[in-house]
Order: sequence, then structure tokens, then C-alpha cells
Amino acid sequence: MTLTESLKAQALEGATAYQQRNDTLSSLRDAGRDALENLPFPDKKSERWKYTSLIKLQDGHLAKQAHKTSELSTADVPDFGGAQLVITNGALPATLPKIDGVIFSTLSADNPSAAKELTPFSGFNAATLQDGLNIHVAKGAQVKQALHIIYVGESDTPASAATRVNVTLDENSAFTLIEHYAGTGPALTSAITRIHVGGNAELTHYRLQSESAETLHISELDIQQQRDSRVRSYQLMKGNVLRRNDVRVWMNEPGADLVIRAVFLARDSSHVDNNVCIEHASPHCTSDQIFKGIAGETGKAVFNGRIHIHPGAKGTDAQLSNKNLLLANTAEIDSKPELEIYNDDVKCGHGTTIGQMDSEQLFYLRSRGVDAEQAKRMLGIGFINELILSLPNEAIAEWARDWLGESL
Amino acid sequence: MLEVKNLHASVAGKEILKGLSLTVNAGEVHAIMGPNGSGKSTLSNVLAGRDGYEIISGDVLFEGKPVADMAPEERARAGIFLAFQYPVEIPGVSNMEFLKASLEEIYKAQGKEPLDAVTLLRKAREACQQVNLDQQFLKRGVNEGFSGGEKKRNEIMQMLLLEPKLALLDETDSGLDIDALQVVAKGVNSLRRPDRGIVLVTHYQRLLDYIVPDFVHVLAGGRIIKSGGKELALELEEKGYGWLEGHGA
Ligand SMILES: Nc1ncnc2c1ncn2[C@@H]1O[C@H](COP(=O)(O)OP(=O)(O)OP(=O)(O)O)[C@@H](O)[C@H]1O
Ligand SMILES: [Mg+2]
Repeated sequence: MTLTESLKAQALEGATAYQQRNDTLSSLRDAGRDALENLPFPDKKSERWKYTSLIKLQDGHLAKQAHKTSELSTADVPDFGGAQLVITNGALPATLPKIDGVIFSTLSADNPSAAKELTPFSGFNAATLQDGLNIHVAKGAQVKQALHIIYVGESDTPASAATRVNVTLDENSAFTLIEHYAGTGPALTSAITRIHVGGNAELTHYRLQSESAETLHISELDIQQQRDSRVRSYQLMKGNVLRRNDVRVWMNEPGADLVIRAVFLARDSSHVDNNVCIEHASPHCTSDQIFKGIAGETGKAVFNGRIHIHPGAKGTDAQLSNKNLLLANTAEIDSKPELEIYNDDVKCGHGTTIGQMDSEQLFYLRSRGVDAEQAKRMLGIGFINELILSLPNEAIAEWARDWLGESL
Repeated sequence: MLEVKNLHASVAGKEILKGLSLTVNAGEVHAIMGPNGSGKSTLSNVLAGRDGYEIISGDVLFEGKPVADMAPEERARAGIFLAFQYPVEIPGVSNMEFLKASLEEIYKAQGKEPLDAVTLLRKAREACQQVNLDQQFLKRGVNEGFSGGEKKRNEIMQMLLLEPKLALLDETDSGLDIDALQVVAKGVNSLRRPDRGIVLVTHYQRLLDYIVPDFVHVLAGGRIIKSGGKELALELEEKGYGWLEGHGA
């Protein structure tokens, strides 16, 4: 049996656990199983999975559900000033937080934002979903309090936990969403977040992936931007056994504006893969992305940034930068920007660099008494410092500096 | 304090220093002059322990101990300070953060208690003032976007804070206008003490009008070809390096 076939069998086995459940998610799970039947898992021949192997999934994560009850208490979670919501192994808490202007509900198949499952991973996610969450920000609501979702996938043996969150910002609203992944053990988190940002609405989004090194994580983030909407997304992550993030943003209507700032770190033998695609489907939209990557030891980081400018999307301004720091010759960084432009009237820029730690800078610091290890750490933090400083939430910036600094 | 004996050293596999000897005792100020490419910076880098600068033969002793196997940071902690000819820019690492890390290590090595944050900031501000550097420079990235003169003054500022036993200044006077030169000279003169050695590497005798050296050496072809008192600098200025041709390698 090939890996692809074996993963399919395992995923379908995992799905049986929920097959008999009869609740509002039943038809979504059915759709998920259909997708699993029809969409093969990717292998190395799949262009978008060229640098990331699924071999690490062969231990059977897909076949088993993570059941461990979390030992995590909110006291262990850093306080970023928002209302906290902990989702443990895919299960929503008994009570949901109360935030003015925000309506929470559990996901159901007849919810319009429960879109089609287009990949085996979103199929698997749907088929093994225990709970799903809908977040609705009311028209015009300027929500002051951030929502801090902590996703905990925990297991002692290979297993998986699916989470799915749909977020809708109605016209003219403003909202801050902090998505924070904090699992431990050989647990695979299958995470799907779908966000719809209505006309002139503003979303500040954080994605903090701080699960421990033994975890696995496969996610899809889908953002739909309507007229004049603004999205700022800050994505900070460390590699683990297998981390793959698919991010797709649709600029559906004119005037939409997107900023992404991201840091990815692959130390030791960890793996991190970001596959990002911006669909400029409408005129006069702007996207500005900076990804900074660091890889050391035998870590591997993959970045694929695609900008797709559709016919008719005139006046597009799309910028993408990916700067990388390679700390060892044994580490690997694969960076591939892709521009697909079907329009003349656009401003488009992309750049990728992969550099090593500057020996002159290192010598300068050391010649003033700083030892080599600390000097490297200082230069590593220096490399991402500007980006950390640009985080609007100071508590997150401070936490991120320490958390990322630990691995530099 | 510093003894360099018949030093042969190479950079990138090429022998640059070819039998250089130099002794600096505590309390002395030495000036090393020489034409472009004569090996002045090579000597500074060898003394500070830069990677790629290999000692082929000969000895470098600091306070009687060979430095060859000491890492750059160990030399710094022992009291050697090099002010760079071309200080490198380090965006993202603030000058203050760097000073803090550096001072912590140097103080620890000297068995001194680390400075608390308030005292550290006060001292750093005073040092800035001494070299006419705005305090805003403490917040900026190390040398990031500094002008040539600001970089040089930043080097002196650090030197004032670190109070090294042996200060090596590699062309700290080059590219400075006369006001900045005086500021730098004042800073260096304030460090002159009986227990400290200072080595000034320079192109121009102009610096020596402000910092009067005890000894002047001429470096050419990787060796010191002539040594003398401060009057040697004037003679050099007058006659040019060509005057010494034939003495060299
Ligand atoms: N990293 C290096 N690789 C190869 N050659 C080098 C390197 N550094 C210096 N050199 C060579 O060594 C010789 C001495 O250079 P050095 O920088 O020590 O001279 P200098 O006296 O400081 O000159 P200047 O007055 O221009 O500062 C020169 O020929 C130079 O090209
Ligand atoms: Mg030089």
C-alpha cells in the first residue's frame, strides 16, 4: 500500500468514530467522508507538497482521536488582555465567553460559511469534527475586547484533534482574534479557520503556533475580504514534527487591504511549511506580506508564496518579501515566490533572500565580551525584532520575544 | 602589558604580518603609522582574535599570557578593546541592549557586581555626552544608519564604558572633521592612566597633535621598520613614507 492509500484508510478509520453521531454536524461529517473518498492525499509528486512529506503521519495519527483531558488551566496561558476560550482536543468548553457585539454559536451544516471541503485535510477535519464554533461580529460593532482562543491538542499516543472556527465580521465592524495553538505530545491538530470580512470591516488576527516539538499541525486558513475591508494578520510559529499551514486570502471586492507579518523558526529537526496564496480577484486591492524564517541544525523550513492577480484586477499593489537566516549548513530553507499576473496595470514586488549569520557582526559583539552563543541569539532576535516590534498588542510582543528568543 | 614577538600572521591564507615585534607597557601610548595595506588592521584583528586571522609563528602575550587560544570574548573580558576601523551595522539589536550584554560580561569577568538598570542608563548617557552623541543613539540599532563620525564616536563611547586595560584604536581618527577629532581625542586622553596601555593606529599625524604618544612606530610590509618618539610622526608627515623606503620589506 502506498503512503497515500494508507493515509486514506487511516483517515476513514478515524472518521468512523463519529459516523453514528446524529447532531447538527452530521451532514458536514458526511461531506467530509465524501471528500476523503474522492480526494487523494498528496505525495511528493504533488507540486504544492514537494518539500513536505507526510511520512510522519504513518504512525496512525489520523486513525485515532485525541482524548486526553487537558491539564492546561487558564493560569498556564499568557494573558494577552482578551477573553479566553480554550478548545481541548476539539471540544468546546461548556460555557462560551461573553463579548459585547459578538455572538457565539456552535457550527452547524446549514451555516452558510460551512463551505465545501476541497482538500483531503479539510475533508478529514469535517469528518472528525466533534464541535465547531461560529463567531459573528455584528454590523458596526467596534469590539474592544480581543478574543483569545487557545487550541490544545494533547495526546500520549499518536492521535488527532480537529478544530473548526468560522468567523464573520459584518460591515463596518472591528475585531481582534488571537488564535493560539498550544498542544503537547504526538497529537496532530487539524485546524480550519474561515474568516469573512465584510465591507469596510477591520480584522486584527494573530496566529501563534507554540505547540511543543513532538506535535503535528496541518491547517487551512481561508480569508474572504469584501469591499474596503482591512486585515492585519500576524503569524508566529516554531516548527514541530510536521507543521503545514495553507493560507488563502481572497480579495473579492475593490479596496480590500491585507497585511501579513510572519516569523517561522525551524530549529533542531523540526519542520515548518507555509503555503500562502493571495487571490487578487478585484481591482484596487493591496497586499503586503513579510515572512521571516530561521532554520538551524537539521531543521527545515518551506515557504511558498503565490500572488495571483486575476484579469480585471487593475490597480493592484501586491508586495511579498521572504527573508531567511540559515544558522547551519545542515538546515534547509526552500523558498519559492510565485507570481501569476493576468493584468498590466499592477504594482507587484517580491523578493527572497537566504543568508547566513554575518560573521562580522558576530565578531563585533564577541569583541566586546559577549559570548558566541549569546551573540548568535542577539543577532537572531535582531533579525526578527522589527517585526516583533510592529505587533500592535504589546503583551503578545513581549511574550513572543521571550518565546522565540528561547529557540535562538 | 602587550608583547608581540616576531609575529607572522596570515589572512585568508596570505601572509601579511612578517616578523612584527612590539611591546606596550602599562601607562604608554603607542602610535602605529603606515601606508595603506601595510597590515595595520591585520595586526588589530589578530590581537582581537578575529576568525580567519591566523598566527603562523611568533608570540602575542597579554599580561604575560599567550592570547592565541583565547576566543575574542575572552580577550575582551581580559581587558583588550578594539575600536574598529569600520564598525559594522547591526540592525535590530539596540545599542543599549548591546551595551548591557557587553558590560554584564566584562563586569562579571572583573568580579564586579552588575550595574542595575538605572545606573547603567545613567552611565551610558554620560558616556554619550562625553563624545557628543545624542542619547537617542542608545535606542537605535548598533551603528545602524550612523554616519562615519557617529560610528567612530560610538566606538569611543563604548570604550569609555568598558574601561579596557589595553585599547587598540584602528584609524578612529579617519574621516573625522576637526571638531569630532577633538571629541575623540578628549575621550582617549581621559582614559590615559598608569595602568592602561593605548595603541593608536593612524594614517595622519594630525591625531597626534591631540593625543601625544610616547612612541611612534612605522609599519610597512608587515613589519615595524622604524620606531621613535613623537617627533618621528612629524618627520614622517614632512617627508612621506617614501623616506623610509629601503628600510621596509
Ligand atoms: N580578509 C582578507 N582577505 C584577503 N586579504 C586581506 C584581507 N584583509 C586584509 N587583506 C590584505 O592584507 C593586506 C593588509 O591589509 P590591512 O587591512 O591590514 O591594511 P591596513 O594597513 O589596515 O590598510 P588601511 O590603511 O587601508 O586601513 C592588504 O593587502 C589587504 O588587501
Ligand atoms: Mg586598516
